[in-house]
Amino acid sequence: MRDAKHEAKARTRAEERELLRLYHEEGDTSAREQLVQRHLPLVRSLARRYAGRGEPLEDIEQVGAIGLLKAIDRFELERDVSLGTYATPNVVGEIKRHFRDKGWAIRVPRALQELNARMSITIDRLTSKLGHSPSVGEIAVALGTTSEEVLEALEVGSAYTTLSLSASPAGEEGESDPLDAIGEEDLGFERSEDRVSLAPALGTLAPREREILRMRFEEGLPQTQIAERVGLSQMHVSRLIRKSLTVMRDELQ
Amino acid sequence: MADRVALEAPLDGTFGPVVRLIVGGIAERVDFGFEAMDDLQLAIERLLAEAGSDGRVSMTFDLAPGRIEARIGPLREAGIAGALRDSDGAPSGLTLSQILETVVDSFGIDSATDGEIIVRLEKLVAAGA
Repeated sequence: MRDAKHEAKARTRAEERELLRLYHEEGDTSAREQLVQRHLPLVRSLARRYAGRGEPLEDIEQVGAIGLLKAIDRFELERDVSLGTYATPNVVGEIKRHFRDKGWAIRVPRALQELNARMSITIDRLTSKLGHSPSVGEIAVALGTTSEEVLEALEVGSAYTTLSLSASPAGEEGESDPLDAIGEEDLGFERSEDRVSLAPALGTLAPREREILRMRFEEGLPQTQIAERVGLSQMHVSRLIRKSLTVMRDELQ
Repeated sequence: MADRVALEAPLDGTFGPVVRLIVGGIAERVDFGFEAMDDLQLAIERLLAEAGSDGRVSMTFDLAPGRIEARIGPLREAGIAGALRDSDGAPSGLTLSQILETVVDSFGIDSATDGEIIVRLEKLVAAGA
């Protein structure tokens, strides 16, 4: 039994090494994606340690995923260590840095932070259950609070200095943003329009955020459908839209 | 007769969250869903962002079940009026007009005097939506 477990572990490790080799030596991005998928449970597990600090768990997971991508990119094949072991400090470091650098810009009462953190999943659950976007009153009943507190907690999202997980075209130390490599590349705005002067403003957004704007304002999709397509909560999509429009506006000024 | 809520605030962006909160509270009173409320908040936020940061702005909200009509102004006609008309090719590429077309049901210039305009925004929600 122990031998079988050991063999399975060794096989997994060998597969991981091969994926790392394919990515680093042959530039196989699908190998990178497989590595990401295999290690997302690790990221989720680490992210959960930082839950309940006023940020939605999914936000923390996405920050952790950036750490994972950086670890994959920096991994040296000569290292005799599993990717999981190597990635763990990178993921934790990324999450800690996020809390330190991009945490609450103003002091927000803990109760409101916690309410905000519960809001996202409640909105999605109610949307699915009721078949329509829930009203503030319905959200309040579901959370056992008042409409005013729900509104305040929604506004708490604005207390972040930066919500976007990939708002900058370049990451730290001039590295390319790892999130640029995920998801579908869609340059609909640039492709369909001769909007040369927008290029600098759109260029400040990550591909995923450009895609969300395209879906909302070109396709006219509601937030709920966009959320399903990109695998985020409706609340997160709402915040990314607001944030992206603000970033673009600021860029043009 | 429809209910009316009136508000005057500095254009200074630091009051943006206050305006959002109030708009959220108004939307809640007429049973807007989260998304419709968010749309109206975004429409007003983007309109005020185009209006600059100097001076004050008045907002009135006429409420009826499933419907809010907002009048916002006075705003500088220069820039805003063009941005409202320009559905294609404005500097941002994603113009104010395009944003409003997506997030509200109708909009336009309600009145214009001496280089200033009042903008009208209307947001509707279908019953049960």
